[in-house]
Amino acid sequence: MHMADALVSPVVGGVFWALSSTLIGWSAKKITEENDPKRTPLMGVLGAFILAAQMINFSIPGTGSSGHLGGGLLLAALLGPHRAFITLSSVLIIQSLFLADGGVLALGCNMFNIAFFPVFIAYPFFFRPLAGAAAPPFRLAAASMIAATAGLLLGASSVVVQTTLSGISELPFSTFLLFMLPIHLAIGMVEGMATWAVLSFILNRAPALLTGEKQPAIPPLVPAAVAIAALLTVTLLSPFASSAPDGLEWSIKRTGKTIAVQGKSEPGTPASAIAGATLLIVAAGGAGLALRRSRRERSA
Amino acid sequence: MGTDRSTLLVTAIFILAVVSVPKFNLTAVAALGAFPVYLCTSSGIPPGRISGRLLKLSPFILFMAAGNILFDRAPVMELMGASVTGGMLSATVILAKTMVTLAALLSLTHTMPFHRMCRALSALRLPEVLVTQLILLYRYSSLLQQEAASMQKARDLRSFGRRGKELRRTAPLLGSLLLRTTGRAERIYKAMNARGFSGNLTFQKPEAFTARELAFAGLWALGFMTVRLIF
Repeated sequence: MHMADALVSPVVGGVFWALSSTLIGWSAKKITEENDPKRTPLMGVLGAFILAAQMINFSIPGTGSSGHLGGGLLLAALLGPHRAFITLSSVLIIQSLFLADGGVLALGCNMFNIAFFPVFIAYPFFFRPLAGAAAPPFRLAAASMIAATAGLLLGASSVVVQTTLSGISELPFSTFLLFMLPIHLAIGMVEGMATWAVLSFILNRAPALLTGEKQPAIPPLVPAAVAIAALLTVTLLSPFASSAPDGLEWSIKRTGKTIAVQGKSEPGTPASAIAGATLLIVAAGGAGLALRRSRRERSA
Repeated sequence: MGTDRSTLLVTAIFILAVVSVPKFNLTAVAALGAFPVYLCTSSGIPPGRISGRLLKLSPFILFMAAGNILFDRAPVMELMGASVTGGMLSATVILAKTMVTLAALLSLTHTMPFHRMCRALSALRLPEVLVTQLILLYRYSSLLQQEAASMQKARDLRSFGRRGKELRRTAPLLGSLLLRTTGRAERIYKAMNARGFSGNLTFQKPEAFTARELAFAGLWALGFMTVRLIF
């Protein structure tokens, strides 16, 4: 479900960067106010645990495929929403930098879709009320399944909204939504089962990990306000994202028929543009090599 | 030469420039590809290391590109006698943008050690809590991944085909890894505490950008803007 830079427009990417940065700032402030340095290394290693746990696949009966733990809901249950959001965001940053999953501009969208929904919506509004304090097995199972599915469906819907508003994909909104929701419903159920299985194991072996931790309450209005602000801002700003069509789009709209490439070296034709781009790449490569050689000579 | 934080800033400006290219303008994306080529050649990164990773595009990107080919079949140009549809062109632009932005990011991570990147992020006023988290996550991810790989290998050796790899068998594995992880966190905390840890792995206080850093970022931004205007 990772969005890539190539699929978001600068406006949509920028808006979600601003929203996710606000959530990071707010969560960081809450963590600083808590002043519990003991949990700082726990966040670090639990982030590493999520990356490691994603390597361990399990078979899904009746499908022939396999799945792995996502970890958003599990982190929220172990660390509380604010610390879980920072931890999941750091996992997404590492994935975008080193594993080429997502991108830098799309990072704001990814934090919102993959971290915000499970941590600030699914956990406080679905998991905690359903699981209750004592968390008997049946309630824990139901809470894990419903919360994980809700988080993933909200995230998947948000991907569809962001992609449609960016205007880069030709997939119609309804087709894309109908494609994404059933897949993520199934993924959500698998995620819910995995979360429940791991939480049950912890409840049996180390219940203090789940019940003994401080979990700050979130004012219900805060996440809801952020979600509404996201949708409103993007809806209001999106018309500006594609207000200026490029030359080719303008020509297509104007003539409504096939545009033939002239192939000669007239200014502005694709032939000259291709030649120019090739020359630029060669020149950049040459400049890089020259810089490296001069550095090596200076150090010798 | 720029500082680490101005280099991060230039990379972000570059990605913004690539993303701002309209969906049918392939030559502009190709021209901007000159930047990662420059990064690779100037730093001496083996081209195979970057290109090998670029070829493994995510299925989501491929799906979105295929969607464009399927839903936009209006011919927009002819290339050597063959008709090219809008969907084919925009799908190629999506793939090209992905490759160019990833190449720039991978070049950056190959040339800048992670602790320096974190220091630069701190200098760009990223919250200290997140920077500390990134350092700890980076430090322990390889250790836990080795541990997870060993556990998975042990489980697979005791399984027969798909039998033995079900969730009910795998969940205790994940749970054990989690318990070991929290145990490790306790030990790390004690070790860090003994060395005077107070909540953050503090860096210097962020300072304002110097004129030299601004000039460095500004010149690169001007270059990207020029390429966008020409192509």
